[in-house]
Amino acid sequence: MASLPFTNDIRTLRFLSGEMTQGELGDRVGVTRQTIAAIEQGKYSPSLEVAFRIARTFDKSLEAVFQWSDDAD
Amino acid sequence: MSFREKIHWATLVAMTLAFGWYFLAYPWGIVGSPAGVMATAGLLVPVTIAIIAAMTVATAFLAIRNPREVDTREDERDRNFHMRGTHFAYYPLVVGIWINIFLIFWGIGQAQQLNLMIATLVVAEIVRIGTQLYLYRRGH
Repeated sequence: MASLPFTNDIRTLRFLSGEMTQGELGDRVGVTRQTIAAIEQGKYSPSLEVAFRIARTFDKSLEAVFQWSDDAD
Repeated sequence: MSFREKIHWATLVAMTLAFGWYFLAYPWGIVGSPAGVMATAGLLVPVTIAIIAAMTVATAFLAIRNPREVDTREDERDRNFHMRGTHFAYYPLVVGIWINIFLIFWGIGQAQQLNLMIATLVVAEIVRIGTQLYLYRRGH
């Protein structure tokens, strides 16, 4: 199965936010720990709402969290 | 593996075993006679009881093993995978129903129709749950 056309820095941002766990981020965003893990691994493309919620949790813009891969165009 | 995914595995195994036994144990020699309908009813009772019992035990066991996840609600990923599983299950369901419609015009017996409908439902359910499990494992 083809990989997603974008990457993310959620793992790094979690680490920089006091080593926030996947479960804690999931609770704040309103999804399960498994969904955060899947998003981090590029196995799940979140909805725009969840993407924004993740970005807002880290007080970042959407583009600071999710980056479109240039070779995916 | 999440609690929800384990429940899907339990359902898939329970359904496959129960209906596998049903189709193996069914007296195909009488399927064309009125007794075939009674055989279907007679076999569906233990199959239904077996699935309910197996799922009750499996759910209780998994809930005890994963107490933190028991009350976790479906999130958008779960709903997305459920919807895609249902989408893929729609195709075998439609094919099975159309085959059944044609065979009714062809003049097959009630027990044969019943068994075809049961097989259609089982295949559709296996496709639905299988798709969900595939998506949980492989993603997207």
